[in-house]
Amino acid sequence: MAPRPRAKMLFGISSRAGRAYLRPGCYLKGPGKVHSTMLVYTINRILQLVPVVLILSIVVFGFVQALPGDVIDTLADEEMIDDPEIRKALEKEYGLDKPIHIQYLYWLGNVLQGDFGKSLVTRRPVSIELIERIPATAYLALVGITLSMLIAIPLGTLAAVRRNTAADYAAQTTSLAGISIPEFWFAILSILFFSLFLGWLPSSGYYSPAENLPKSALYLVLPAIAVGFRQAAFTTRLTRSSMLDEISKDYVDTGRSLGLSERRVIYKYTLRNALIPTVTISGLQLANLMGGTVVLESIFAWPGIGFAIYEGIQLRDYPVIQAGVLVLGVIVVIVNLLVDLLYRVLNPRVGMG
Amino acid sequence: MSRQERSYNPSRRDFLAATGTMAAGAALGMASAPAAAKKHPTRGGVLRFATRVDGRGLDTHRNIIYYVSNPLAATTHGLLDLNKKMEIVPGIAESWDISKDLKTYTFKLRKGVEYHNGRTVDAESVQWNFNRIRDPKTSHAFTRASLQDVEAIKVLDPHTVQIRLKAPNGIFLSNCVYYPVNLMAPDSVEQADTRPIGCGPFKFVSWKRYAKTELVRFENFFETDAEGNQLPYLDAVEGYPKREDKVRLTALRTDEVDLIENMAYSDVGGFKKNYSDTYNTWDISQVGTAYLAVQMKEGPFSMQAGKDGKMMRQALAHAIDKEAIHQVVFNGLSEKLNGFYSSSSPWYMKEIDNVKAYDPDKSKWILNKLNAMNQPIAVVARASYQYMRNSGELVHAMLQDAGFKPTNEVFDNPVLRKKYDKADYGIDSTANSYRFEPDGWYARNILSTGKLILEARAVLDAEKRKEMYREVEGIVNDDCGFIYTHCVPLTSAAHKRVKGYEPAFAGPYNIAGAGIRTAYIES
Repeated sequence: MAPRPRAKMLFGISSRAGRAYLRPGCYLKGPGKVHSTMLVYTINRILQLVPVVLILSIVVFGFVQALPGDVIDTLADEEMIDDPEIRKALEKEYGLDKPIHIQYLYWLGNVLQGDFGKSLVTRRPVSIELIERIPATAYLALVGITLSMLIAIPLGTLAAVRRNTAADYAAQTTSLAGISIPEFWFAILSILFFSLFLGWLPSSGYYSPAENLPKSALYLVLPAIAVGFRQAAFTTRLTRSSMLDEISKDYVDTGRSLGLSERRVIYKYTLRNALIPTVTISGLQLANLMGGTVVLESIFAWPGIGFAIYEGIQLRDYPVIQAGVLVLGVIVVIVNLLVDLLYRVLNPRVGMG
Repeated sequence: MSRQERSYNPSRRDFLAATGTMAAGAALGMASAPAAAKKHPTRGGVLRFATRVDGRGLDTHRNIIYYVSNPLAATTHGLLDLNKKMEIVPGIAESWDISKDLKTYTFKLRKGVEYHNGRTVDAESVQWNFNRIRDPKTSHAFTRASLQDVEAIKVLDPHTVQIRLKAPNGIFLSNCVYYPVNLMAPDSVEQADTRPIGCGPFKFVSWKRYAKTELVRFENFFETDAEGNQLPYLDAVEGYPKREDKVRLTALRTDEVDLIENMAYSDVGGFKKNYSDTYNTWDISQVGTAYLAVQMKEGPFSMQAGKDGKMMRQALAHAIDKEAIHQVVFNGLSEKLNGFYSSSSPWYMKEIDNVKAYDPDKSKWILNKLNAMNQPIAVVARASYQYMRNSGELVHAMLQDAGFKPTNEVFDNPVLRKKYDKADYGIDSTANSYRFEPDGWYARNILSTGKLILEARAVLDAEKRKEMYREVEGIVNDDCGFIYTHCVPLTSAAHKRVKGYEPAFAGPYNIAGAGIRTAYIES
C-alpha cells in the first residue's frame, strides 16, 4: 500500500525538511541552521581540546617522573661500575639533572615542534619508535572494531526484531559467551584450532599491509577475530536492547499505522536511532583498543604500541612513555570528538551548545 | 618465494668444481683468504629464527647484543672467536703473543678480512674500535668494563696490533671475543644506530624492533669449513622476536619459523617425546647460574654484624632445598650447583669446600642460639624472569619452614636497583649469565674475596687458576653471601630440515665451525 500524504510528510522521502522533521527536536530549526550550528559546535570542541591536551601532557609527564627507579638504573644493569661520575655524565646527557619543571617545558617545546626526543634505551628518535608501532595497533583496532560491528549490528537487530525466538536465544547465548570468555583464552583456543589443528592460519607475527597485503591479511585474521569477538559480544547486546527500546516507541507504531513496510520502519528509521549508543560505545571501544592490548600483543607477537609502552615503563624510558601516552591520549580525544559529532548527526536532539 | 627456490641447487659443474678443489681447501682451512673458498654443495635457504628477546638498539658498542638470543649477534665479530665448547679460538686475529709479564698482548690479524662495506679489517680499525669502546660516551658499561685494564693500543703494522695493559692479566683474551667487544667499520659510525656495518657472517638488512630482523649472508666472511667451503651456508636469517615461550613453540609447530630458542621447562619432556620425528632439540646445559644473593650491607645478615651475621646467613643457606627448586621450577632439567659452573663447563669444580646441606632443623637451631626466631627477611625477585619469581616463592616457603618470617615481593628491574642501592631487601632470587671466563663472574660480583681473584687474574695457566677459584668458591660457600642453587638450562629446537646446526653448550649460535654458520636448509 502506498504511503498516504500525511505519512509522506512525516517520514518524508523526497523532502529534506521532512527528513529533518523526523528527527525529534530538529523540526524547530531549519536544515541550514543545523549545518551552521554544527560547524560552530565542531570549532568549539576543537578549541576545547587544547587545554585538555595540555593538562594531559602535564599529567603524563608528572606521573612518568613519579615512577620509582630511573632509566640510569636500567641502563646500568648488574654490570655497572658504580661510578658517580659516569652516573652524573649520563644524567647530564639525558637532561635528567635539570629541575622537573624545566625538563617539562623543554620537552613540551620540542613536542610542539614535532620532536619527541630520543629513546633513552634504543637512542632512536621516539617518533620512529611510535611510527613503527602505532600503525600495527591502529590496523588491528580498526579491523577488529569493523569486524565486531559487522557481526554485532545485524545480530543485535535480528535478536531484537525476532525477540524470544531461536535466533534471539542464539544471538544472546553467543554474546554471553563472548563476554564471559576472556580475550586471551579465546585467542589461545583460536590458535589451537585454526593454526595447530587445521593449519589454516599463522599463529603469530605481523606483516605490514603496505609491505605485503595478502600475507598481512592472513596474519591479521586471528588477532582481529580475538579482538572483534569480544567487542562484538558487547555491541550485540547493546544493539539488541537499544533496538528493543526504539521499537517500543510511539513513532514506530505511527509509521506502521501509516502503512510503511516493516522493513522500512525497522531498517530505515528504528535502526538509525538505535545505533546511536552502539556508535558511541564502538567509538570508545576503538579508542580503548588504540591504547593497546598488551596480552593479545604478547600472544600474537604483534608489535603494537601497548607492548612498547609497557616495555617503556619497565625500562623507565621516559620519552617513549610520555610520547606514547600523549599520542594515545590525543587519539582518544579525537575519536571521542568524532563520536560526539557523529552522535549529533545521528541524533540532532542533542544540544549543540 | 618458496623454500626450494631460495635454496642453493648445485649444478653438475658446481659439484665437480667443489669436489675438485676440496683437498686444497681442506689444507687451507681457515687460514685462507675468502677468495680461496668454495660453495658448500648443499648450502642455502633462509633460516627463520624465533627468539625470546630483541635488541635495544643497533650500535653494537652502545648496546649489549646478547649472543644467545639476539639475531644481530650474527652481524658482529671480534678479534677472537668462540667454539662449541665455549673455548677461545682464532677469529680475525689468527695468532697472538703474550708477554712474560702478562701486560702486553700482540695480535696478528688475518689478511683479507673485510667489513660488510668492503673496508679491510686492519690494525688501525681495531684500534679505533677499542678506543670507541673505552669511551663512556659511546659504549655500554658492560662492554667498556672488558677493556678497563687497557692502557694503550698501538698499531705496529697494518696487520699487527699491540695492546698494553695496566697490570698483569692472564685473562685478557676473553675480552677480545665478539661478545661483548666486537668490531664495526670505522667509516660507518654515523649509521651505527640505523644500519650497522660489522664483519660477522651475516650482513644487516633491516630491523623492526619486536617484529623482524633481516640479515643476509656476507659473501666475503673469512671462515671456511674443514673442506674449504665458504661459510656461512645460509642465504639469509630472519629473526622473529616472540616473548612468550609457548608462542615460539607454536610458531615452530605451525611451520612459521625453523628454529626457536628457549622453550618452557614444562614443555620440554612432552615435546621431545611426541615430536622427535620432526624436530631436533638441543639442551643448553647452562645458559646462566641461578643463586640467592643475601643483602650484606646492613642488618642482621650483614658483614657488620660480624660472626652473628655470618651465622644468620648460614641459617639461610641451610634452609634452602635445592632439590625442590630443581624439580618444581626447572622440571628436573637443571643441575644443582655448589659453585658457579655446572658439570658441562671446563671450569666445573667437583670438590668445593663448605657446602651447606639442606637442614632446616639446623637453621632453627642457629636462629634459636642467636635468639632470632621469626627473624623478618624480604625475599625479592625480578619480574622479567619466571624462574626467578618461582624460585623466590619457593624460597619464601622454605624460610618460613626454617623459622624465619619472610615476605616475598617481585619488582621491575629499576625498582630492584633502587632497593639494592638502599639495601632495602633481605635475599634476592637472581641469576647471572654464563661466563666463559671465570674472572667475568668472580671479579665483578664477589667482592669479599677480591685479593685472591686479582691474584688469579695474573695467572695464565688455566688449571692453576681453577684451583684458585676453587678456593674462592669455598670461601663463598662458607660466607653464604651468595647461595648457588642451579644452573639455568635452556632447550632450543629446530625443524629437521635445518641441517648442520648446533649451538654452543651455553647457548651462543654464532660460533666457529658450528651454529648458524654451518647451518643450511635442506630442500
